[in-house]
Amino acid sequence: MIDNVIHAALVMTTPVLLAAMGGLINRIGGIVNIGLDSMMLAGALVAFIVASNNGSWPLALAAAGLSGGLVALLMTLTITRLEAKEIIVGLGFNILVAGLVRFFLKTAYDTSGTLNLPDISRLPRIDIAFIADIPVIGAVFSGHDVLTWFAWIMVPLTALFLARTRPGLRLRAAGAAPAATQALGLNPLTIRDASSVFAGFMSGLAGAYLSIGVVGIFSEGITAGRGFIALAAFYFGAGRPGLTSVGALLFGFFDALQIRLQGRGVPAELVQTLPYAMVIVVLTVISLAARKNRGVRS
Amino acid sequence: MRIGARGVTRRFGALTANDSVDFSAFAGTIHAIVGGNGAGKSTLMRILQGMDRPDSGTVIVNDQPVTLSGADAAFGLGIGMVHQEFMLVPGLTLLENLVLAHEPVKAFGVVDKAAAMQAARKLEKETGVHLDWSMRVDDAPVHVRQILEILRLLHRGADVLILDEPTAVLAPAQIRDLMALLKRLRDEGRTILFISHKLDEVMAVSDDITVMRSGRIIRSMAAAATSKAELAELMIGETLLDIVAHKSEVGETVLKAEKISVVDADQVERLKGISLSVAKGEIVAIAGVAGNGQEELTSALTGLSRLRKGRVELCSVDVTREGIAARRAAGLAYLSPDRAAEGLCLTASIVENAIAGHHRRKEFLSAGFLKLGRIRHHVDALLDSYSVKRAASSLPVGRLSGGNQQRVAIARELDGDPACLIACQPTRGVDIHGIAFIHKCLLEYRDRGGAVLLISEELDEIITLADRILVIYNGEICGELARGSDVEKIGGLMLGGVR
Repeated sequence: MIDNVIHAALVMTTPVLLAAMGGLINRIGGIVNIGLDSMMLAGALVAFIVASNNGSWPLALAAAGLSGGLVALLMTLTITRLEAKEIIVGLGFNILVAGLVRFFLKTAYDTSGTLNLPDISRLPRIDIAFIADIPVIGAVFSGHDVLTWFAWIMVPLTALFLARTRPGLRLRAAGAAPAATQALGLNPLTIRDASSVFAGFMSGLAGAYLSIGVVGIFSEGITAGRGFIALAAFYFGAGRPGLTSVGALLFGFFDALQIRLQGRGVPAELVQTLPYAMVIVVLTVISLAARKNRGVRS
Repeated sequence: MRIGARGVTRRFGALTANDSVDFSAFAGTIHAIVGGNGAGKSTLMRILQGMDRPDSGTVIVNDQPVTLSGADAAFGLGIGMVHQEFMLVPGLTLLENLVLAHEPVKAFGVVDKAAAMQAARKLEKETGVHLDWSMRVDDAPVHVRQILEILRLLHRGADVLILDEPTAVLAPAQIRDLMALLKRLRDEGRTILFISHKLDEVMAVSDDITVMRSGRIIRSMAAAATSKAELAELMIGETLLDIVAHKSEVGETVLKAEKISVVDADQVERLKGISLSVAKGEIVAIAGVAGNGQEELTSALTGLSRLRKGRVELCSVDVTREGIAARRAAGLAYLSPDRAAEGLCLTASIVENAIAGHHRRKEFLSAGFLKLGRIRHHVDALLDSYSVKRAASSLPVGRLSGGNQQRVAIARELDGDPACLIACQPTRGVDIHGIAFIHKCLLEYRDRGGAVLLISEELDEIITLADRILVIYNGEICGELARGSDVEKIGGLMLGGVR
């Protein structure tokens, strides 16, 4: 029972964590990426189609990452070069990509809602001998796919990138003080664009995880707002990769719990809102605590 | 000549910020540029640093005329500037800020901290300063940030350093350290230009001094060949006054501040126990060079900010703990120095701006709804009496000229004759005609029994209007003078006690 919940929690965490790491980098670079959900959706669809046509999951992942990055590039150029407001553009992209996906399903596959394709190449699972049979530890470390491992490896890598590398330093500078960065001869807008493309790439992978990692089916509502949960996760993390992963894990846990609680007398629709409701509760509690620490100005 | 200007003229609309400026600074000297607000010092420095371009005339570098396409181009010629607002990145350490954009790296783009630290130590040795390089800029006190800016310019190879009012934010001991650093850099052959209001430090550190006033160079000379008194005279110039006002009948005290102290976000004391009082029928002026505590005083008296110590009384009622609305209700009016951001809402209509704050009066309300017809009637009558030229009162107030905008603001504040008016820079950005009108409004209000606290950087204005003059310097009132006092005496007090 516990093993099942742990395993399911990690499964539900992966897409949120991937997108949150991308969004975190993007935010440190100075853009709050509201459009993560659209990049996830694009990645999910592209990965699904490529996995069916070629039967190659690595190719599907690459295509998903690139398509997410492409959506992000369009979005970021609108923000940095055309000076559009990031909130509006992000929301716009979410609606736009959802509409395009629906249109594409209708015209290319003559279907709406869900898409079923044959011979989907699913992400392989990595079972680790010996460990797999140990309770709890087995559930934590064994039986996960490559993307889950990748997502968690990215957490310390992101921290190292930000703290120790030249691009990480310049990214932080571009986000915190664009004018000062520019005065030193760097282009903060280009740096921001690069961070957006990275966020798109990570979100595209997150989408691929949903379509070819978990189920092997694609539907219009496959992201279920996880791009926004990723947003909540990196806000929760306040710019720190480790804490951001905790935020993602929290959501994953409540999502797994929600599945467990279904069919126990409470209406399923209500139970399904649990992880989302908990996100609101947690963010509220955190900001209340932060306010208390600051000492509220009257 | 290391850096200079020939016939540089720069105009901003009707304002000539630099008028055929000739300027020369030589390698291995400290050259101070002094002058009042709006004298054109900052414009000239921005031109020398490539951030602004002259309309005519040319910048000279190493005796050659050059066209600087931007700050980068100037930097290529060894010219760097420390701005009043520091160009440092919060969240990064001092070391990270030092090397940003020129980071030494190891494999995988990892910043070579040891190499960066070595560069920092080398700079420390060269300049004789010591910094905690692992500190984040946010935690660094302001003088450390300034030193960091200077070191960064050196690190990047600048040998002409332009500093815009470097001492404005520093305490006396820190100023001495900075001056010692500047002298050391000069002795190594660098050229230092610095803007200052403070004549003591100018006399103490510079080799050459250039005085600017109203966009022109008044005189350039060796520091040894002049005196503080002469500089003060050159800076202030002749004041052509047309004093029309005379002392009026003074009644009971309306506004009273007792030993008020204010600290800023860094816990630095900006007002150091100021006491003052303004009575019915008098205009009390606060004279001083910008940045000596005028803004803090205004915020403290109007209720925009909190006091650390002291008390504020309005009409004999303690309002120290009251907010803005309560103070206004007690009879305080406030003419903001910043029309665009604080005084008016430029996108709202003239009527809305003129009635704002008075809209809660019973005569303009009916069951919670505004009586728009009545308001319009009232505003039109009010604005006509202030001769506000307007096509229609429903237009956005931003469509009016600066002078007419200020008339709207002053009409609103004096509507209903408040007990006390705090007027900050009431004629900023207003032409001569408008200035005379606004002065007349303030004097008439005083003669009706109003109490005015006038905060202005225009000495002429203060001399024309004020019945008493309080001089503010470094957060303290350093002198009080009566109407008709010697201009030079006021100027001397404003500049830190030259008498």
